[in-house]
Amino acid sequence: MLPENITSVVSRNETWTGTAASEPHEAGWAREVVIFVRALKEPKGPQPVARVEISPDGMRWVAEGTVTAMPAERDGIAVMRVAHFGNWLRVAADFADGSQSTVLVTMHLKA
Amino acid sequence: MTIPTNEMAEALRLALLRADPKLSRFDPLPRIISHDEFATGHCGWSQLVGNYEDDLDTMLPGYAQHTSAMLSTLGHWDSGSHGGMASSYALKIATRPRTGAQNVAIKRHTFRHRGRIRFELYFTFKPEASELKLGETDVRSVGFLFDLQAGDRDGGAERVMPHLRFLNALDGDHVQRWQFKQQTTEFKPVGSGDKTLSHYHLAPEGWEDLPGGEQRLCYNEIATKVNWTYLRFDFDLDTMKALDFQCNDRRFDMSGFESIRIPAMKNLWCMLNFCLFAETDTDKRAFLYVDSVCISGDF
Repeated sequence: MLPENITSVVSRNETWTGTAASEPHEAGWAREVVIFVRALKEPKGPQPVARVEISPDGMRWVAEGTVTAMPAERDGIAVMRVAHFGNWLRVAADFADGSQSTVLVTMHLKA
Repeated sequence: MTIPTNEMAEALRLALLRADPKLSRFDPLPRIISHDEFATGHCGWSQLVGNYEDDLDTMLPGYAQHTSAMLSTLGHWDSGSHGGMASSYALKIATRPRTGAQNVAIKRHTFRHRGRIRFELYFTFKPEASELKLGETDVRSVGFLFDLQAGDRDGGAERVMPHLRFLNALDGDHVQRWQFKQQTTEFKPVGSGDKTLSHYHLAPEGWEDLPGGEQRLCYNEIATKVNWTYLRFDFDLDTMKALDFQCNDRRFDMSGFESIRIPAMKNLWCMLNFCLFAETDTDKRAFLYVDSVCISGDF
């Protein structure tokens, strides 16, 4: 059997403001993930750095260390690659007052 | 004495099923359409995405909240991975942490024979263990639905959507009963064209109690202990009627059950879709876990 390989849409057309994060995603079966964050609309205000977070339980989150600039324009895509994350994954970003982005976050996971 | 061939064939079929540790826990009809064990992958259980046109903002809010199902080991902060019945993995359908939030996973097929089909699964449910409490009334419901439509040459064709949910709790009241649904929301055009419509059949209105449908399931004693529950639902694609429903040791009279029925749509012929869903009753995520699913037919 071929190793599992799945595309998961974890945030679709969600407008991120303030401290924002994707829903917890459990993927302990996967050895690697490529995460794309696409701006579906023109972002407003200065765009923060997005970070990968990992967790021991899906409830308490720790920065994994991988970061990237949020897309600066509509249809811009930010990419993060992680190959050692345990079980839980999410993407988080802290937006300044007045800043926002409407995002499509997809995780491409491979066993 | 000569044993008729068909009896011999059935005896052989049953003997083979019962000797197979993966299938022995199911009672499939003669054809197995799919048998999903989640250590082998997602098995086609994908996110139910809403219809849209031109702009994702046209998607109804009920669908916009959905996210992708996961492969889970039921990992718990206090006791580690709970695991499934025969492997470490189960399918996990998680809501957002907002009262009334829902999530739906779907498997999309079509059918080639209008007869009896059987949907069997082992499932369990829990809220996110974010408090050191049992949380037995935190999950509003878990359930399933089929989305069916007759063939393109069938007279009086309808789209038929049997729904069943286990209403665990509502507004904090520990209800614990099976319910069905005959109502959906009004169809609304989506976008600027005339090709796409949408309705939200899992809207909270219109659930009805299944007669005799009270049932207390094994819930266990803290938020991180779960037990797998058996469920079987039989439906006739010819008459579009429910035939039988069993959950663990209880079989329910389905004579009072009816489905959502709407006029056939122009592009859904022979549709055979299966959905699994979860709803939360508090601002806490609700999780539906499915160990395995067997879908079979009598053809």
